[in-house]
Amino acid sequence: MRLALAAMVLLIAAVAYGQSQLPLRDFGVAWSQGAAKVSFSAIDLADERVRRELSSGLRKRLVVTVGVHLNGSNWRMGVRQFGCDVTRDLWEDGYLVRIGDRSERLDTLEQVLDRCLLVQGLFVGDPKSYELQKGKDIYFAVRAEFNPISKKQCSQLIRPATGGDPVGPISVNIVRRRICRAERTVEFRSQLLRVPE
Amino acid sequence: MSRFERKILFAIGLSVFLALGGSIFLAQGALRDVYAVGVNERFGTELVHGVEARQSHLMALRTGSDQVADAVVWAVEAEVAKRGEKSALEAVLQNLLERYEVVQGIRVVNAGDEVLAEVARPLDSSSEPLRSTVRKRETQLGAGKVRVAVEVAVPERYFERLQEAGEVADVYSRLQRQGASVSDVYAWVFGVLAFLVIVAAFLIGAIVSRRVTRRVTDLAEASRKVGAGDLTVSLPTGAEDEVAELTKAFNQMVRDLRDSRTRIEYLQRIGAWQDFARRLAHEIKNPLTPIQLAAQEMDETYTGEDKAYQEKLAHARAIIEEEVATLRRLVGEFSAFAKLPQADLSPSDLCELVHGIENSIPAVLEDLGEGAARAVEVRLSCATEPIAVRMDPMMLKRCVDNILRNAIQAASREHPHGGGLVLLRAYQGERRAFVEVRDNGPGIDEENWERVFDPYYTTKAEGTGLGLAIVKKVVLEHGGEVRLDRAPEGGARFSIELPLMESR
Repeated sequence: MRLALAAMVLLIAAVAYGQSQLPLRDFGVAWSQGAAKVSFSAIDLADERVRRELSSGLRKRLVVTVGVHLNGSNWRMGVRQFGCDVTRDLWEDGYLVRIGDRSERLDTLEQVLDRCLLVQGLFVGDPKSYELQKGKDIYFAVRAEFNPISKKQCSQLIRPATGGDPVGPISVNIVRRRICRAERTVEFRSQLLRVPE
Repeated sequence: MSRFERKILFAIGLSVFLALGGSIFLAQGALRDVYAVGVNERFGTELVHGVEARQSHLMALRTGSDQVADAVVWAVEAEVAKRGEKSALEAVLQNLLERYEVVQGIRVVNAGDEVLAEVARPLDSSSEPLRSTVRKRETQLGAGKVRVAVEVAVPERYFERLQEAGEVADVYSRLQRQGASVSDVYAWVFGVLAFLVIVAAFLIGAIVSRRVTRRVTDLAEASRKVGAGDLTVSLPTGAEDEVAELTKAFNQMVRDLRDSRTRIEYLQRIGAWQDFARRLAHEIKNPLTPIQLAAQEMDETYTGEDKAYQEKLAHARAIIEEEVATLRRLVGEFSAFAKLPQADLSPSDLCELVHGIENSIPAVLEDLGEGAARAVEVRLSCATEPIAVRMDPMMLKRCVDNILRNAIQAASREHPHGGGLVLLRAYQGERRAFVEVRDNGPGIDEENWERVFDPYYTTKAEGTGLGLAIVKKVVLEHGGEVRLDRAPEGGARFSIELPLMESR
């Protein structure tokens, strides 16, 4: 029991330390209706290879996850995630971008990157969470990923062979995590800022 | 945990974990080989080629659609120039629509956005979904410019299949990149699960082996106790195996040791009593004759006239002579007890002994008085087969005789008017022979069952208390046991147990 507790504390401390070591980046933060609206750019996710793949005509996915954390703690006060399915239209010039249920057509890759990786005024966390942490230091942590395979799709593509042994299902779960993770990831965090009183 | 247990567990653990390590190593190699058969560069390249082919196909369709649009415009220009009138435009477009399958519709509008002609392929709800696009061209038609919009379409499935092929190629390429790590994951998951199974098996093995080793350590501990002189130790035998056999042998050895010690102690005690009896007999016997002679002389040499005194002397002489006679008898018995020889064992038949006793029963009854003969019935029985034992027939007969006399006396006292019963039988058990004498007399209280064999312990007024002590001594010298308990008839039961010749 003591060992398990010690391991948990170590894990939390390691995660908190890991997040505190993320590179800093300029964030625009505005407070509206008791919640924070953040603006930042993760366009550097799109390096040469990512741009080439986005132009391949195959559907690719860009996912941005923003979390708001209390300084010195591993506790995440709130999280917001959005993803773009980007397909270069080989039939007509341009790109088809699907965000949630909405689809739109953009003419250039730069427009696509601005649409998906340049975040403007995104609400992160609900007012109730901030209400409880007034006057405390917080920071935003961003994880931008290129082409992670969704859990559902990953489960469909990588399946264990039918059989009663436990090796297959356990191994497949681990393999899925490795195989379906993003092909490129960029992580960064904001400076510390104080929740308004 | 004892060293023995640690060694057994170490041996189990070593063999099991060496096997596990070896199997993980082999499984890792085998999995990598198997993985490489299914996921390799060749298949990955072919999949990528498949995706590229679909992309090229779509690009070719796109180029084709542009060419079709150009062809439509040229055809419109040519036909109108040839016929010289725009009124024929509708028929020309219809003709083009029929000629090019990918064309879904054509519209020609003039500079004022007035539709000059328009044709469209009728909608067919049963046909597969199409993805269409409009290729726009401008051309000079007669005196004015016109815009020609050609709608071309290809099946939607071409695009879907490209995406599907792309996804599969993507996953395959990831599997290919992670080849070594995927097979390692399988090997390690197998290893961890096998480890857990082995740990469980190891624990079960430890528990089972502990049961065996515990029995061995118990034996060692019991041996130490026996060595320290504790002969009350007895171990449970447990399951039927070699250790149980060893435990049984150990228990038997302790029982034999205990019996031997009891026998030796008893014989030592009897020896001490014999020494005491010899001295007592010697010390008492010597003055008896002078006492008796002195009394006789006093009586015979009195010459006085005092009648009363003369009678007193005669009375005193009679008392002295009677008591001296009693003392002589006691001295005789003590002396006989002291001189009791060691049993001289030789192969004999126990039934012969019983038959010999049978012959002497009338004499015994006569010796005990007529009352006993009338009141007590004596029954004897023995097996028809000889019961071979090593014995001293004379001494053992004396013992059985002694017990038989006691039994007859007890039965006749309890049943003075008849109905007394004494049974004497000899029989053979698995490894022992038995002589049993039982009666329907008053019996002996249980608290005295052990004491009756002590020298000088007696419940009879005229007894010396040596008879049963001699019986026990003789039986012990035969390597046997004599026991007393209650007979089914209600009286006492004496059982003499002797080892059979085969078991010696």
